[in-house]
Amino acid sequence: MQASARRNRPEGGSGRALGRAIQYVGRYPKVALVAALALLVATGAQLAVPQLIENIIDTIVTSATNQAILELPEAVQQLAAQRLGLDLANMQIDLDNAPRALWIAGLTVAVFAIARGGFTFLQMYMSQVLSQNIAFELRNDLFAKIQRLSFSYHDRNRTGQLMIRATDDVERLRVFLAQGLLMALQALILLTGTLAILLLTNFRLTLVILPILPLAFILFMFFGGFARPLFREVQKRLGRVNTVLQENLAGLTVIKAFTTEPREKARFGESIDDLLGQQLRVARVFSFLFPFIFLIANLGQAAILYFGGKQIVGGTLTLGEWQKFSLYLIYVFIPMGQLGFIISLMAQASASAERVFEILDAENEVQTRPGAVALDEIEGRVEFDNVSFRYFAHGEYVLHDINLVAEPGETVALLGGTGSGKTTIINLIPRFYDVTEGRVLVDGHDVRDVTLESLREQIGIVLQETTLFSDTIRNNIAFGRPEATDEEIIAAARAAAAHDFIMEFPQGYDTPVGERGSTLSGGQKQRVAIARALLLQPQILILDDSTSSVDLQTEYEIQQALDRLMEGRTSFVIAQRISTVLNADQILVLDKGEVVARGVHEELMETSPIYAEIYHSQLAEDVELT
Amino acid sequence: MFHQNERILGQETRQARNVGDTLRRFWHYFRRYRLILLLVTVFVVGSTYMQVLIPDLTGQAVDCYLGPYAAQQFGGGDMPFEGIPGMAAGAAEETNAFSNCWYTQPESGASAEATIAGLGGLILLIVGLYVGSAIFSGLQFYLMQWVGNYALRDLRADVFAHVHRLSLGYFTRHEAGDVMSRFTNDVDTVQQVMNFALMQVLQGGLLIGWVVVTMLRKNVPFALVSLVTLPLMFVATRWFSAKARQAFRVAREEIGDVNADLQESISAVREVQAFSREDENIEQFRASNAANRDANIRAQLFTSALAPSLEALSYVSLAIVSVVGGLAILSQGQLLGSAVSLGLIITFIGYTQQFNRPVQQISVLWTNIQNAIAGGERIFGLLDEEPELHDKPGAIALPPVEGHVVYNDVWSAYNPDEPVLRGVNIDAQPGQMVAIVGPTGAGKTTIINLLPRFWEVTDGAVTIDGYDVRDVTRESLREQIGIVLQDTFLFSASVADNIRYGRPDATDEEVRAAAELAQAADFIELLPDGYDTVLGERGGGLSQGQRQLLSIARVALTDPRILILDEATSSVDTRTERKIQAALDKLLSGRTSFVIAHRLSTIRNADQVLVLDEGQIIERGTHRGLLEKRGFYYDLYMSQFRREVDEEEGEEEAAADAFFVPTD
Repeated sequence: MQASARRNRPEGGSGRALGRAIQYVGRYPKVALVAALALLVATGAQLAVPQLIENIIDTIVTSATNQAILELPEAVQQLAAQRLGLDLANMQIDLDNAPRALWIAGLTVAVFAIARGGFTFLQMYMSQVLSQNIAFELRNDLFAKIQRLSFSYHDRNRTGQLMIRATDDVERLRVFLAQGLLMALQALILLTGTLAILLLTNFRLTLVILPILPLAFILFMFFGGFARPLFREVQKRLGRVNTVLQENLAGLTVIKAFTTEPREKARFGESIDDLLGQQLRVARVFSFLFPFIFLIANLGQAAILYFGGKQIVGGTLTLGEWQKFSLYLIYVFIPMGQLGFIISLMAQASASAERVFEILDAENEVQTRPGAVALDEIEGRVEFDNVSFRYFAHGEYVLHDINLVAEPGETVALLGGTGSGKTTIINLIPRFYDVTEGRVLVDGHDVRDVTLESLREQIGIVLQETTLFSDTIRNNIAFGRPEATDEEIIAAARAAAAHDFIMEFPQGYDTPVGERGSTLSGGQKQRVAIARALLLQPQILILDDSTSSVDLQTEYEIQQALDRLMEGRTSFVIAQRISTVLNADQILVLDKGEVVARGVHEELMETSPIYAEIYHSQLAEDVELT
Repeated sequence: MFHQNERILGQETRQARNVGDTLRRFWHYFRRYRLILLLVTVFVVGSTYMQVLIPDLTGQAVDCYLGPYAAQQFGGGDMPFEGIPGMAAGAAEETNAFSNCWYTQPESGASAEATIAGLGGLILLIVGLYVGSAIFSGLQFYLMQWVGNYALRDLRADVFAHVHRLSLGYFTRHEAGDVMSRFTNDVDTVQQVMNFALMQVLQGGLLIGWVVVTMLRKNVPFALVSLVTLPLMFVATRWFSAKARQAFRVAREEIGDVNADLQESISAVREVQAFSREDENIEQFRASNAANRDANIRAQLFTSALAPSLEALSYVSLAIVSVVGGLAILSQGQLLGSAVSLGLIITFIGYTQQFNRPVQQISVLWTNIQNAIAGGERIFGLLDEEPELHDKPGAIALPPVEGHVVYNDVWSAYNPDEPVLRGVNIDAQPGQMVAIVGPTGAGKTTIINLLPRFWEVTDGAVTIDGYDVRDVTRESLREQIGIVLQDTFLFSASVADNIRYGRPDATDEEVRAAAELAQAADFIELLPDGYDTVLGERGGGLSQGQRQLLSIARVALTDPRILILDEATSSVDTRTERKIQAALDKLLSGRTSFVIAHRLSTIRNADQVLVLDEGQIIERGTHRGLLEKRGFYYDLYMSQFRREVDEEEGEEEAAADAFFVPTD
């Protein structure tokens, strides 16, 4: 259902995902507001810079002119002043005030510089604060969701992919929110503001440079669209170079043994030449595009220089205005360059947003129902009532009509080949998956009618692939009951035959376990896992009793520990050991999702040929295989 | 710019130890392109010169053409304004108004048309310079990329070739991942610098230097005043970058925690749910996530401050240039005895605005350059590793052999003081099978590594048909030895190409025959494209057992006289196990073979069983003979193959205790 919903999603899906990410901004209204206000002030200030420079230059020119006129001979002075329609007295006052005017203009620029710096900083910093917080929220949401998604989701998605979404994709979104969003706003304000000012101050001069704008804009767009596939190809070829090297390192002995070094060298040479070719292709494009873009902007400047110069000669433009114009021109080109960058940021961010929300929107197939009750302390009676199961809605059935009753304290051994459904049966009891048809009952309660936590707390699980966490041994044992006392932990470790080897470590229970339990041997990890399950004092126990490669003594100890663990508890065991099968109260023989035989060992040896075959081939072992 | 700062400041910094030496070795790769580099230098100098020249010409436009008109607006067209300092076109006066005008010397009081024509000419010159600088920077960019990429290609090829010269011993001491990282990360850092940072820094430095010199030449006092903010810019950049880097280092550690948390919780999500630990984990993740956020925000405090403070400083210099210049003009165009014109002020305003960018680039990219030198050091360190011993001068090609292998009092050591083999003697007749058993670390692998000369004897000799392996070429030696290793490495190529790996010229029929012999033909035909099926990375898509069969086929195709086999211990299903066994039996028959044995059947079939412990052969003989001895072999055997012994001795009830997981 989910898959079809995804397929039916309209085209604008990724844009909508980005919109949802932007909505996270609303969670931090104050920070967002400060950032936006600071941006407005800082951009406004930027627009004022050329004006300030014009003021300064005009101040200098005016004072210089006044001074010059006042230094002329009297007669000419009068004439000049008349021509300009100026009063000599005022000019004298202006001139006297000129140093002060200069100082004021200079101080204005200095004060302005500090203010503009402050607001720019505030805008940058606040947008970073905002984006970091949003990334924080997104990661938290993702983590919580991933932790709670059912096994079936994790069956479909690999750890690496989920990791990338929670790290890279969130980071890409963050960069867009921190930079792209505000930059777009800024570019828009700057572009429209500048054009407005230019048109208002000197319409004719603006018309001169206006045709350059669409040209530059097209160029930027083209550049963005053109560059991406080129870079993607570089990445692809770089990947090939690395693959060859990786293979050569991993297969070094094979290469030496077959003396194929020359061939490998040629293969590698080919791959780096390929890479080189693409890199030079990129270099060619860029060495044309970069200077070309700058050239266009510079030609705009030259045009202003000439046509503005003509206006000055014609007396319709002042020097200050002219200088201002050329500064504003820079403000037209900067935002256009930014827009190209923003568009590529946005494309990446949209794709990332889509991937992030795909997880957040994923439907959790196993959830505590509304109105589910907490399961009281149980006796441990487990019943499968006509249970059928398939992993996917239209997939094949993995279990067909399974019926079984395990009374409190009984041991149920499950036997069967790969794909017979053994693992599926034990996964249904703690509700890692929901049944497709039928019911699973614990003490008469349908597992779907009780809260997940209360159910799973009463079930202990020891799996074949033992995963430990990079924490101390103590915390690993207390994994399911963090509040357990030291006495309880030690008792559990003793029962699991783990206490002795733990005490042999210099740090005892505080010994850190490396990533995925790397400081412990396979057998030790298994015993820690048994202690971890024991500490829960579960009424129901699920275990996979095959052991990884351990020596005979350890093997024996683990078996003893498991036997103690099963005592007095309802146990479901995926059986690999003869002793387990011999001691079981019930043996279920599974084949292709159906129970093909059930009973105790002696009965089955006589009645079930499949059991007899499994017993001989799997349990009694064949001689060839050590 | 700011965004670039964030990225670069966030990078790891490393300190290089021997800068001079590393640079010299980099030069080795660039030397053959030195003519092009010379050309690049010419372009760099040329385009920088143009960049410096343009503000100067703009200033001339003001002084020589526009200034007078700006003034004439006040005085009318027909009147000379000889006394206006800095802007009057009074050539006759002692003022140096036109000292700036080297392009054209306009007539005093030229007509408007003439002025515009003159201005037009000047601007044509400016346009020419713009075009020229565009061409120069384009060429300079391309040539630098060209040289850099070619030099790197040579470096990559050298590293790769060197990897193959290194002995296997190097890879037992170093992780392959380390070599990989030098190859990817370090070469990448070097590449970034060569393609981009180096150019930027050199050009930025040149620009700053040139502008400073030009300003000083035009007017020393005015230049000094205008440059007051330059050192401040450097100080500010250095301080903020250093702070940001420190903060980013913390942030990197925090993100490491976040990733570790994620990795662990996602991959162990089944355990987490089984033990109802979701809430605790979410809480814990929130904490490390928050720490990461706070560290990042702190780092951003400094990066966010860098660009605005540099910008503010550049406005301050603008204010200084304007005020000081303006005041100078008011005092008769004099500043501490030097002349200041309006055009000069405009020129200086242009210059001060050019500082901002290169200052920031240099300070920030400098880190990249340091990293690249450190990266180069690591790459050259790899190239300095002693290569595997070369063929002796005058080594002969080993003629086709019978397969009589003799180890004569062989000693060998990975580290000089710790001999791994201590006086090993073996005599394997052509066609014999030698099984080597012993505990881990006994030296089994070393023995087989000596034969194809993957490793060298320190004393004694290994001979094949009387030829010392050190006296023949490695290629001719290894061609006659087939090796099947535990780690059955396959290449991401088609099945046929993998089988053909040792003999690329083999025909399809030969490939099929080899696959038949290795019992691999059945499963290959079931693959989607049969022999043309392309295998995933490292043979992904095939089971462990299938990969073993393929690697047997690969060796079978080369039809070696001598065979080395390291039996796999990993468990495969019974049917495949039987197939592998059958394939190996066929492969071994008629060839001299050395087998590190894990299977009982192999040991039983061996002509000689060598029991190795601590680098010495402590027992030798046949399986039966050794068992009867009841020595070391007997104990080893009892612990490893006890169940089978039980069976042999007919103790049926032992089956109840039988474990069928291999206990190697």
